Amino acid sequence: MDFDWLFFAEISLAGLGTGGLYALTALAFVIIFKSTGVVNLAIGEMLMVGAYLVYGLATGFGLPIWLAIVVGVLGSGLAGGVIERLAIRPMVGESPISTFMITVGLASVLVGAVELIWTADQRRMPPIMPDEAIFIGEAFVSSKVFYGFFVTLILISLGLLVFRFWRGGVALRATAFDQGAAYSMGINVPRVFSLSWVIGAMIAAVAGVIVGAIGGISPAMGIFGLSVLVVVIAGGLDSVLGALVAGMAIGLIESWASGFLGGEYKVVVTFLILIIVLMIRPYGLFGTREIERL
Amino acid sequence: MKIKTMKNWLAGSVVASLLGVAGIAQANDKEIVIGGSIPMSGVFSFAGIGIHAGIQDYVKIINDSGGIEGYKLRYVPEDSGYKVDVSVAAFKKITSQNKVDFYYGDSTGFSKTINPELNRMNSILMSGASFATELNDPEKYPYQFLAGPDYTEMFSILLRYIAQEKPGAKVAFVYSDTEFGRDPIEASRKVAEELGLKVALELMTPPGSVDVSTEMAKMRRAKPDYTIFHGYILAPIPEFIEQARNMKLDTKFMGTFWTMDNSTVMQMGEVGDGFMGVMPYRYYYDESAPAPMLEKIREMRPEYQNVPYIQGFLSAMLYTESARRVLAEGKELTAENMKAALNTIKDFDTGGLIGVPITISGNSIPVGRIYQADASKGQMVPVSDWIVLE
Amino acid sequence: MRIGTAKFTYKHDEALFDSRTQYAWLLVLACSLVAFPFIANEYWLYLACLVMINIVSATGLNILTGYTGLVSLGQAAFMGIGAYAVAYMDNHFGTPVIFNLLIAGGITMLGGVVVGIPSLRVKGLYLAIATIAASMILHFIFANWGSVTGGTAGLTVAPPVLFGFSLDTSFLFYWMVVPVMVMMLLGAANLFRTRIGRAFIAIRDRDISAEVLGIPLLRYKLLSFGLSSFYAGVAGGLWAYFFRIVTPESFPLSMSIFFLTAIIVGGMGSTLGSILGAVFVTMIPEVLKLIVGWLPVSVDATLILSPVRTIVFGLLIIGFLIVEPLGLQEIWRRIRRFFHLWPFKS
Repeated sequence: MDFDWLFFAEISLAGLGTGGLYALTALAFVIIFKSTGVVNLAIGEMLMVGAYLVYGLATGFGLPIWLAIVVGVLGSGLAGGVIERLAIRPMVGESPISTFMITVGLASVLVGAVELIWTADQRRMPPIMPDEAIFIGEAFVSSKVFYGFFVTLILISLGLLVFRFWRGGVALRATAFDQGAAYSMGINVPRVFSLSWVIGAMIAAVAGVIVGAIGGISPAMGIFGLSVLVVVIAGGLDSVLGALVAGMAIGLIESWASGFLGGEYKVVVTFLILIIVLMIRPYGLFGTREIERL
Repeated sequence: MKIKTMKNWLAGSVVASLLGVAGIAQANDKEIVIGGSIPMSGVFSFAGIGIHAGIQDYVKIINDSGGIEGYKLRYVPEDSGYKVDVSVAAFKKITSQNKVDFYYGDSTGFSKTINPELNRMNSILMSGASFATELNDPEKYPYQFLAGPDYTEMFSILLRYIAQEKPGAKVAFVYSDTEFGRDPIEASRKVAEELGLKVALELMTPPGSVDVSTEMAKMRRAKPDYTIFHGYILAPIPEFIEQARNMKLDTKFMGTFWTMDNSTVMQMGEVGDGFMGVMPYRYYYDESAPAPMLEKIREMRPEYQNVPYIQGFLSAMLYTESARRVLAEGKELTAENMKAALNTIKDFDTGGLIGVPITISGNSIPVGRIYQADASKGQMVPVSDWIVLE
Repeated sequence: MRIGTAKFTYKHDEALFDSRTQYAWLLVLACSLVAFPFIANEYWLYLACLVMINIVSATGLNILTGYTGLVSLGQAAFMGIGAYAVAYMDNHFGTPVIFNLLIAGGITMLGGVVVGIPSLRVKGLYLAIATIAASMILHFIFANWGSVTGGTAGLTVAPPVLFGFSLDTSFLFYWMVVPVMVMMLLGAANLFRTRIGRAFIAIRDRDISAEVLGIPLLRYKLLSFGLSSFYAGVAGGLWAYFFRIVTPESFPLSMSIFFLTAIIVGGMGSTLGSILGAVFVTMIPEVLKLIVGWLPVSVDATLILSPVRTIVFGLLIIGFLIVEPLGLQEIWRRIRRFFHLWPFKS
């Protein structure tokens, strides 16, 4: 049987595009987890809030789209900070499961709030990116996916650099590693917590804008977060590199599954991967192994 | 909050809820009650709000002109949020507090769930927002009907049009992975074959999918002449169309009822120009032929009313008509009588809501017309005659 | 005023209900349960049946999450297994109702054990995420294993027939649900007087220590999953008989979150908590409807009911976790203590 390489190439490119978005959202997740140790199940909903904020500013207030994106992303960051202060800070010291369930509740609140303000109708993001077709060789790539991928790449590289070199990034890593030591080195730990949620929310918002541009905006957008959950588990909850690698990989695998098996298999394949990862390497490809002390 | 205050609140709300429910409305003798689980919030709210207004308006028109056979109409709605359990709860609540004669259900799931109950009660005739093929079965669903063609009939109308325009054309079905989406696909495949059309591609998209590039890659290979979307309201149709245009794919796109509202299609922007589909009703702004009911609607509501509004309006009209026929013969308002009366509707003039006189011999009204979006006018314009299926 | 009861035997100490006053109150409760259907209308009976089904499911979830500490977001999917099992048995074999419920519980129990297998490798959060995955995979099976589950159209169930009565109204159905619920509740309450129950609690508190003490972790974790799924399966079976239609979309992830909310609000690790939580969370939409109906706003208030309900659910979870992590049952206990010790302060 003649294998259709062009088809394969096309869906692989599409998969990389989606993978990039997964990686970006996973980055937001990892930043939050690395600093505060919170598994944020509401990451999909934070992505949604970012998309809606930009949509609302662009259509409701009539801001030019670039300004709307900037203000929207900053606004999401602010929302992230508020969420941290109100819902996460009081849970410091409690079991991680309780904090996890708080994020579950948070997801509900965000979905309800968005539905309240903008109703449950599906909406379209105003045009952001140029939309002529892009052809790589003979393979067709949707323009939105293409540009989205580049934005993702830039942001992730920035993220990796930040964690390595910027003082704030180092502070984030330090608090993640050992809060007590970080305190004694003069790092303002509560401020680091807030900062991580703010940055995480902003990155999620950018991802949300791209996802919204590609697939439309609706209160059900948060379901994206479930696939991202698989990505971070596979990559390692606290690894930025893992987010990148796993995001791309899962984006590709999902695309192949959808292309060769059929659209309905996409979700199942993703979650089978999750189960396999949990059984073989629960801490993910690059995650740090948790050592439990009594 | 202190415990004592909380306790007081708790006690207060318990008493209040008991009082609230204890107020059972006294059923008026000369009254016909229309109950409804209307999806006024949730994913289907744009439809629910329209349906709600449509039924309200028709009830008002009838009551203002003195009711029918001396009976007044009363409309008792509850919001269902498009969730089956909430709809069922609303049904139970309304039927426990009123003697209900007609009921409007919000979804296929609800209609199926409540069917055994309807059969047992034999006092309610039901229709709803669902056009599911399953419900179009007078044996299994004797006391229900559809105020329009079922989804398979819609596909048939579209396929007939295609076979006329381009005999032997290649067709693609793109549908969502839900009950709504899957409903007509199998039967429609057969209809396409019978009409000599080739079903080149069938694509099922998972709900909430973001990127359609994979599906587009398949479509590029299949090169269908026509693509029919079903099981969606808006997304991901604009994505498909946009990518197809970018790929220079020469396909014509079509949709079924729930995608065809003017406001929905116009949201697609210029991508939606030329989008076609089947619609059993006339649009609000249609002035191509005399339509007294549409004029009345335009009088009552100066702003655009969407297609679900017309669906609700028409449903109320059909309820009223079957009640009228039963009462005119001096019979009781049982579900059996009302359904039988509904089935006597032959060559009935809907006042222009549907372009041709309608006959309801089974559970559906298999009539429709092909409309096409004209982005410059911002309207859907008809491109075919009214097609009536046997 | 009653400060304590003096107990003279171990048996007496372990008993579930220990004083004459408690027995008296139980009798009052039993009488009101029996009298209720005769004074309530169809709608309240419908709500009551729904609440009781939710109580059974919440109790099951509490066994797994509240007592054993294994957070599960798959309760709705397990209920789905039970519901489909009942529907399938009823449509294909026509076996008696109670038998179907037991089989449904059994099949779901097997499903639960399978889902619990990852618990040997992962804990806590990871396990919770694994249950989400299981939930998604089960949903896929429900939607695509057409020959058994009827695909996306689902299955319909005829009204259950018990002792010759066809239970097709809420009034009649009530009489089946109450004994089932009471038995399941007593079962759960008694479970925690036994060795197995105490092992679960030990696992929740510190599982490595539990293993050191000689509790085989995998066996007891799987048992916990199994038991909790049995409850979910029975609840799902009752659900199928109640709503009489089962589709893949009947048991979404949001329903699992609903049950999680119920036990968080009610109180994890307490049978009373399951009851209070399930009642509270099921009645919230009704109370909200009443409140929204009273507010001095136009008819448009009905439009915001659904999103407001979603927000309220989320806030309940967050609120109770921050302010009262022990839930409603703790509030109840405080009220009781107040009355016990009156006129002295606690």
